[in-house]
Amino acid sequence: MKTLEQVREFYESELKQSLAAMEQDRQKMISKAMTVAGIIGAVGLVGGLLITQMGVHNGVLLLILPGICIAIGVGAFSVANKNYKTRYKSRIIHKLITFAQPGLEYWPEGGISKEIFTGSKLFTHSIDRYRCEDLVRGKVDKTEILFSEIHAEYKTTSGTGKNRRTEWHTIFKGLFVAADFNKHFRGRTVVLPDTAQKAFGLFGQTLQSWNPSRDERIRLEDVEFEKEFVVYGTDQVESRYILSPALMERILDFRRRLRNGLYLSFVGSKVYVAIPLDTNLFEPKTFSSAAGFESIKEYYNQLRFGLAIVDELNLNTRIWTKE
Amino acid sequence: MPVLFGLVILGLIVLVPVLMYNSLVGKRNQVANIFGTMDAMLKKRWDLVPNLVETVKGYAQHEKSLFENVTAARSRAMGGQMSADEMVQYDNAVSKLVGVMRATVENYPQLKAGENFLHLQRTLNELEEQISAARRAFNAAVTDYNNSVDMFPTNIIASMFGFQRKGLLEFEAQARQNPTVGF
Repeated sequence: MKTLEQVREFYESELKQSLAAMEQDRQKMISKAMTVAGIIGAVGLVGGLLITQMGVHNGVLLLILPGICIAIGVGAFSVANKNYKTRYKSRIIHKLITFAQPGLEYWPEGGISKEIFTGSKLFTHSIDRYRCEDLVRGKVDKTEILFSEIHAEYKTTSGTGKNRRTEWHTIFKGLFVAADFNKHFRGRTVVLPDTAQKAFGLFGQTLQSWNPSRDERIRLEDVEFEKEFVVYGTDQVESRYILSPALMERILDFRRRLRNGLYLSFVGSKVYVAIPLDTNLFEPKTFSSAAGFESIKEYYNQLRFGLAIVDELNLNTRIWTKE
Repeated sequence: MPVLFGLVILGLIVLVPVLMYNSLVGKRNQVANIFGTMDAMLKKRWDLVPNLVETVKGYAQHEKSLFENVTAARSRAMGGQMSADEMVQYDNAVSKLVGVMRATVENYPQLKAGENFLHLQRTLNELEEQISAARRAFNAAVTDYNNSVDMFPTNIIASMFGFQRKGLLEFEAQARQNPTVGF
């Protein structure tokens, strides 16, 4: 991976010009939006006045007209904004990523499929809405890796007829990484944040053993690790083979540096990592400039974060039979 | 109504000890099961012995007796004529052999470059981590079982049916050290 200093040089020599052009695009978009908003506002106002002049004093009609105007304005702006972001991502962020870590590819509109997400066995709830973007894929030294942003939700409906309400609930929103693991294994091991034990202590541990949607509970000898995580697996020995004392230490250390928790699973020779995030990755700002080095630095740090799992879990160490 | 209540109590009196007994048997079987896995992994490591001896014998002549002992013990082990104690001793000898191999490689870097050796080393690393995982799993299963044998109220059933505490596996300090080999 290139250093920040190398990225700065790349920014000066390669990105600066394209960024300046993008910045012009952004400013044009904003001023266009202002003009369009002005026109729509004026049309709404004049239309409203005309209607009143014509002697129609229907409140609903007076509300509908500005409503339509606002909807058209917002719709047009979001299309323009999306186009700008897509251009920015394919022109700037794509260049940055392929420079910072050669061997990687970036698809702004791509994402990790729902099948891979559910196949990781990290979240067992059925999914009603699944969105993903910003797919990065490639090889870091010996390790194949792909990651993207994912937002998976389920819905609940309550009431009937006119009172029927649909609510959306997040199952997972954040960064999802799939990487090739450095040891061979056949079964399944899932490492989840330990919410039950934290809330209910020993009784929580018993509750965890009864979880019907999960495999056998694996009790590990690392007390700190047990406090932080709960582990389920198909094979007591294999799960411990994967979660060696050294790896448990690394996972714990990584967890301590994250704010919102860490989910890991080991399935089909791969490791899957889910990290809940509040921020949106690789997202250029609309209402302030994204042309400075600060923005580039932020995307670079986000890329490093996405790839961190390779070093955090030491995936490039290939001292076992898997090469 | 009192009859029904009595029946429920009677049912519980019968059911609870049955459940406790079954859970003890389940835990004992889990220990045996993991012991079996560990045994299989140790044997896999023993299968590497001819390969190991072949790799280092040209470089570490003074360990000749170790090679001969290990090879002889291996044929006995393969014939299934070993007692548990002998198995432990044999396994320690294999660990020593692995140590000799590692030390030899340090002194003969040309060994390190060989494809055969690299493969052997990777296989050994893998097996050692698997064996260590099996030992950890075994100890966890034994602890779980011993807790049931000692804790109230399962200890009543345990003592009635002769469930004995089981010993934990100690990690061999010697096996973790590399023996010093002079050339």
